[in-house]
Amino acid sequence: MKSAWWQRLRDELAQAWTVMLKDLRTQYLRPGMIMFAFLMPFFMFFSFAVRRDMAAAQGVARLLALTTFFTASAAGPFIIPLERRVGTYDRLLAAPMSLLTLLAGKAAVGALFAMGVSVFSLLVGVVAFGATIARPWLLVAGITLGSFSFSALGLIFGSIPTRNPGDVQMPSTLLRWALMFVSGVFIPLAEMAPAARAVAYISPLTYAQDLMNHAVLGMGTLSSWLDLALLLACGLLFMVPPVLMHRRARRLGY
Amino acid sequence: MSEAIVVENLTKVYGKPGTGLLAVDQIGFEVHEGEVFGFLGPNGAGKTTTQRMLTTLLEPTSGRIVIFGHDLARDAYPVKRQMGLVPEESNVYTELTAWDNLMFTAQLYRVPRHERAQRAQQLLESFGLWEKRNVRVENFSKGMRRRLSIAMAIIHRPRLLFLDEPTPGLDTQSAHAIRDLIRQLNAEGTTIFLTTHQIEEANQLCDRVAIINHGHIAAIDTPERLKAAFRRVQSVEVALEPDGQTHGGALSALAGVTHVVKMGDKWRLYTQDPSMLLPQVTDYARASGLRLISLSTLGPSLEDVFLELTGQQVGTIRHDMAEEGPRRRGMKGQMGGGR
Repeated sequence: MKSAWWQRLRDELAQAWTVMLKDLRTQYLRPGMIMFAFLMPFFMFFSFAVRRDMAAAQGVARLLALTTFFTASAAGPFIIPLERRVGTYDRLLAAPMSLLTLLAGKAAVGALFAMGVSVFSLLVGVVAFGATIARPWLLVAGITLGSFSFSALGLIFGSIPTRNPGDVQMPSTLLRWALMFVSGVFIPLAEMAPAARAVAYISPLTYAQDLMNHAVLGMGTLSSWLDLALLLACGLLFMVPPVLMHRRARRLGY
Repeated sequence: MSEAIVVENLTKVYGKPGTGLLAVDQIGFEVHEGEVFGFLGPNGAGKTTTQRMLTTLLEPTSGRIVIFGHDLARDAYPVKRQMGLVPEESNVYTELTAWDNLMFTAQLYRVPRHERAQRAQQLLESFGLWEKRNVRVENFSKGMRRRLSIAMAIIHRPRLLFLDEPTPGLDTQSAHAIRDLIRQLNAEGTTIFLTTHQIEEANQLCDRVAIINHGHIAAIDTPERLKAAFRRVQSVEVALEPDGQTHGGALSALAGVTHVVKMGDKWRLYTQDPSMLLPQVTDYARASGLRLISLSTLGPSLEDVFLELTGQQVGTIRHDMAEEGPRRRGMKGQMGGGR
């Protein structure tokens, strides 16, 4: 009995890995991914950073928070509706694996994209601008956890029952922009008015930004452990709506 | 005979029950293990909805599906391992090569690592795609994509294969090759559930067919038994010269002719009694000074049966909604197979 359970677990993990590798190979060069996942965080960053008096390390901390957030959360809303439209999503849904395995594979795709772009941002910051990293292990943990958490957030939008990526892009972009402005990325948490800070605490990006501040600058507003715990909790919580929405989609016929 | 599929009172309503669209209404049927089972119906009849419910892609509103002894609502995992699906649109990954598509599917279905390459090569060779194995699928023709899609559906050697409209839009050669593949798979023991609106394809391939119309099963039987039950749609086909094209009105007035359809340079006269009609046709030709080029009697085709059951008039594409209900009910009684 135990070996059957173990075999099933191994199968499911291998299937999530297979889905992730396939998406990495088939999706990374799509124009929508290049625009919304790879270029957008840099546009956002430069539009605020140019002509501002900002230390290199501060810039790197903000850029890392933006890249993990934007890149990770862009994959789900783009890939799943597109796969529904061309019919390949049915192939995955009909395969002998649990829905959670499929969603884990999809979450891993966005997370890996985000980690890749974050590493690129980090290299640019360190090599070109001489930024230093105060707590490297926290940076690794923050990028990894933030990437998975925000990728799971993207899955919520990707799970909207539609075959048109355009239907998903609008609400997902709206939410992501709103979160970006309230999360202490451009106005530090410590400088916010109490009401604005209360709103900022609702956003998971706040904790990712605070974590990047701890990792890169060596100081943050909240405890780094609290940031890590809340990011983990958000990531787990964000996996619940996609499961429920996929069940609804199965009833509706998407 | 063991059953591969048992369907009981299966219903699907899109939207809220009562006000939503009733796509499938309390249907029931069995598919025997090892047979090719055809699921026929006009567009919008409920074929694809049924197939999507059988393949776990769509949740039924009510009813029960049992596949290889497993209730699909409670225990879908072992069923998914044993079935393959070829949807209407070839859902292959166009960004990948044929080889990579097969490897991906093999990994997804957990085909043992040491067998993957061997099975992929075998399939690509037998499907005529080996030379193109390293070509990205976006460069494939529709027929090649179809063949690859089937290869992907069977790389894990399923006991049950669902095929949704496998040949429409393909050239004759590709369609023929795919029908041969289906026969071969069935000969090797795979149970085939074939959804199609191509009646001749079902006639050639299927051991039994179910005809679905407006969400109801109108009839289930072997193609030959279905045809035998429709003796009333027998016909006489006649070609006349000269001016053979102008005699439709006169031919339709002959005793026993239910209606007349022009078929190219011939006329097809539908009747319940060809033996009574034949001498009338020869008498008419003689009296009108016409030469009989050909004269033959035809039994009902599966297409005739299909059109009768789906409420369309034999030989035409007219859809007579008014006649549909009573005719369907009448046939259910006659065939005894519909539920």
